[in-house]
Amino acid sequence: MDKNLGELEQLVLFALLHLGHDAYGVTVHQEILERTGRTMSFATVYTTLSRLENKGMVDSFVGAPTPERGGRAKKHFALTTSGKQALQQSVRALRSMSRGLDAKWGTP
Amino acid sequence: MGDTMNHPPAFARWLLERVVPEHLHDAFVGDLEERYATMVATMGIRAANRWFWRETCNAPRTRMISAPQRRAPRPNTGDGFMSVLRADLRFAWRMLMRRPGFTTLAVFTLALGIGATTAIFSVVYPILFESLPYPNADRVMMVWEGTDATDKGNLGYATYVDILEQNRTFSDVAVVAYASGTMTGRSEPQFLEGDRVSASFFQVLGVKPALGRAFRDVDNLRGSERVIIISNALWRNRFGGDSSIIGKPLMMETDYTIVGVMPASFENLLSPTWQFLLPIRYDVSLPQACRSCRHLRVVARRKEGVTTAQAQRDLSGITQGLKRDYPNDFKYSGLQTNALSEDVVKNVRPALLAVLGAVALVLLVACLNVMNLLLARGAQREGEFAVRAALGAGRSRLVRQLLSESVLLAFLGGIVGIAVAFAGVRILVALSPADLPRLSEIRIQGSVLLFALATTTVVGIAFGVVPALQGSRSNLHDSIRRNTRRSAATSRFTRSALVISEVALALVLLVGSGLLFRSMEKLFAVNPGFDSQNLLTMQIQGGGGKLTNDKLVAQFMADALQAVRSQPAVLSAALTSQLPLTDERDEYGVHFETRPPINPNDSNGGRYRFAVTDGYFETMKIPLVTGRYFAATDKATSSPVAIINQSYARRYFGDVSPVGQRVKIGGLDGPWREIVGIVGDVKHESLSSTHFDAVYLPEVQWRFVDYAMTLVVRPRGDAMAAVPSLRKTIWAVDKDQPIIRIATAEQLMAEREAERRFALVLFEGFAIVALVLAAAGIYGVLAGTVSERGRELGVRAALGATGRDQVAMVVRQGMTLTIIGMIVGLAAALASSRVLSSMLFDVSPLDPITYAGVIGGLGCVALLACWIPARRASQTSPLEALKSE
Repeated sequence: MDKNLGELEQLVLFALLHLGHDAYGVTVHQEILERTGRTMSFATVYTTLSRLENKGMVDSFVGAPTPERGGRAKKHFALTTSGKQALQQSVRALRSMSRGLDAKWGTP
Repeated sequence: MGDTMNHPPAFARWLLERVVPEHLHDAFVGDLEERYATMVATMGIRAANRWFWRETCNAPRTRMISAPQRRAPRPNTGDGFMSVLRADLRFAWRMLMRRPGFTTLAVFTLALGIGATTAIFSVVYPILFESLPYPNADRVMMVWEGTDATDKGNLGYATYVDILEQNRTFSDVAVVAYASGTMTGRSEPQFLEGDRVSASFFQVLGVKPALGRAFRDVDNLRGSERVIIISNALWRNRFGGDSSIIGKPLMMETDYTIVGVMPASFENLLSPTWQFLLPIRYDVSLPQACRSCRHLRVVARRKEGVTTAQAQRDLSGITQGLKRDYPNDFKYSGLQTNALSEDVVKNVRPALLAVLGAVALVLLVACLNVMNLLLARGAQREGEFAVRAALGAGRSRLVRQLLSESVLLAFLGGIVGIAVAFAGVRILVALSPADLPRLSEIRIQGSVLLFALATTTVVGIAFGVVPALQGSRSNLHDSIRRNTRRSAATSRFTRSALVISEVALALVLLVGSGLLFRSMEKLFAVNPGFDSQNLLTMQIQGGGGKLTNDKLVAQFMADALQAVRSQPAVLSAALTSQLPLTDERDEYGVHFETRPPINPNDSNGGRYRFAVTDGYFETMKIPLVTGRYFAATDKATSSPVAIINQSYARRYFGDVSPVGQRVKIGGLDGPWREIVGIVGDVKHESLSSTHFDAVYLPEVQWRFVDYAMTLVVRPRGDAMAAVPSLRKTIWAVDKDQPIIRIATAEQLMAEREAERRFALVLFEGFAIVALVLAAAGIYGVLAGTVSERGRELGVRAALGATGRDQVAMVVRQGMTLTIIGMIVGLAAALASSRVLSSMLFDVSPLDPITYAGVIGGLGCVALLACWIPARRASQTSPLEALKSE
């Protein structure tokens, strides 16, 4: 299984970790927008989530239909253990790669 | 665009509904709408609308990621081809299960095509195509005496000896004579049939007994020990498969020693009902071995490298010598030869070929229907494929997925098809006429099964893949713009063409079965020349037990008849040497004193000889035209008399009454017999036969005693109910004489026509299948059209079209297809019904009543198939149809 994460995947996993039980399309989209200023299309959010789900890093379940969404149900997402591990590994890799670069950030 | 305060653009939403996979609808569209509401509040409606459109354009990507990846998890994760295949098949299975109606219909159509073709071909194969069950069977030839290749007469023993000595093209020549006898000494007497053969019989066929030995030349010498070889079935049934049977005695009118048992696999194609073989024990000095005693069949094996033509030339050379040496015996005839296989199948070939043709049409209809189904389904999924292709799914990926679906479908069809084939073969064997050759060899033919499976699979694959290729070519914009369901319209033309073909094929099959049905109807309306209603017949085999000579047999027959007549349940009874509408054919030449033969062969044979007791005509109710019937006063010692039939008399005597004329029967050395009466014509060989010439004589005045006589009884009550008491009555006279073939005349008639009936039943079955498939095709196309044209129908309804108008529109479309199909079918039926002509009776292949009936019937069924979708169309409400847009 591919344990390496792409950038979008990392962003989505971070968002799920932040959101906990309240993770679904709109909140994931909102979380990434608010924290990174990045506008992803919902299709991108969903493709990424689905890819992560196929990798076994994300679980999903369909909630009850709610009246404020015109009777449409939400699809909730949650991080799995292997998703958490992959994200941790990814963060460790980033940290170790960025360590000692502080002096160089100033030079273009 | 229909935007309202809190609703995103309607058209964008409409697109989303179609593009986003169903399982993501709620989550994805719900999220977009929720977010849209927030954006309207924070950024204004225009910006929100722009955003919504952008999201909509991105939305097709959800198709790419969702379905295949969710359903075929991790296809590329290191476990290779098998897991990909497994994943593909699993996905295909889910896709098929999602549309159970389509899947069931396709599987059963395939199964029907595969099963029916395999079953029929399995029946036909051993008869028409497989070589006979002998080594180098193509070299086994029959030799006949006749005027040309179609005139196949038996030979006298002396002629056989000439062939044996003079031929240079056969390695072995054998002679075969029919034999029968009554086996006694073990429980009840049993009538057995078999052959008397020369020792070379085994070399000609290339067969050996499984136990014991074959005959040797010494067995043929008169005075040698009487030996017998028995069939495997007789050995098992009557001797319990006794492995030490060789050398044991068998009592059949005289004592025989069993020297051999043939293997179970041995088929005696010369006498399919054989149970024993005896040495022929002839030599040319015997009276029955004369050249004109033509009662023997000759079978020979061609030498290796010798062709049939060379063998025929060899025999023609021998014929020249025979004509020179025996001008009287060979004035008109010569020696002819043909392969044994030709004789085995010649009677059933037309029926079987017609049936084979019919089942090929059924397979074709099944293929057309599967094509139709797959095209319709492909058209419905075209949008799906287009989106996938646009999003980067390779053409090969799409094709692979569709291939898995088609192959899986064919596989399911194949499995059910095998079950259909097995059931079909059982039904066919049960239905088939008893004298169908090689019945025991009928089994499922694996090669045929594979062929049918391959055909339908190829069809399935071809038509399953076409939409995938189309889909991957068409552009995203086009496909999304079109409703996936509406794109079915593109294939409507093809599907209409398929429906037309189906209707045409169904019509051909219906015409075939209609013609056969009419023949059958006419055939059973034919007057057989006697009253077949409630007439009981049974054959009595004399000569068993103590009845060792002619006198005793004749006395037994007379006593048995007397006993039967004295029964209160019997109105009248009589005995005859041969019974109409059975296989019994005893023919002699006839010579009228004052009339020269019209055809030189007339005095050589070809007139049925009936040796009957008095009361025969009265019991059979054969009408008297002029003169008198036989009476009890026509005794062995009184002056010889004869009766002939009406059309025979008219041909020789015209309007002059032949009563009082004299006639000789069976050669010129017999006595002159006075013709005392003319009776009506009787159908002898079958209801369709036109050969009636018959001479009747009192059995006491014939030159020999017939050991097998048929008792005909006109009972007071039900014919079959009288059987037990009649049997008891006869056995009270002598318990050692077997009674066989107990049947009413009506049963015999039905048996005679079994081949026609067999073909008829099959044709009817096939025609019904084709009709149902064609109706399903019409229904499918119209139902598709109605749902595709929902909007149009809605608009029409809104503009004032009544339900009746809508019905008329749909029915018109369906009936147009039907009528075009019928026209094509009529042309095909007119061209092909000639194939059936040999099986038709008194019905022209162009019989207008049949054609009218078939057109009417097919029209009604087509109308019914149109009616259901038409009714749906008439119920289209304008509101609903438009709302769905």
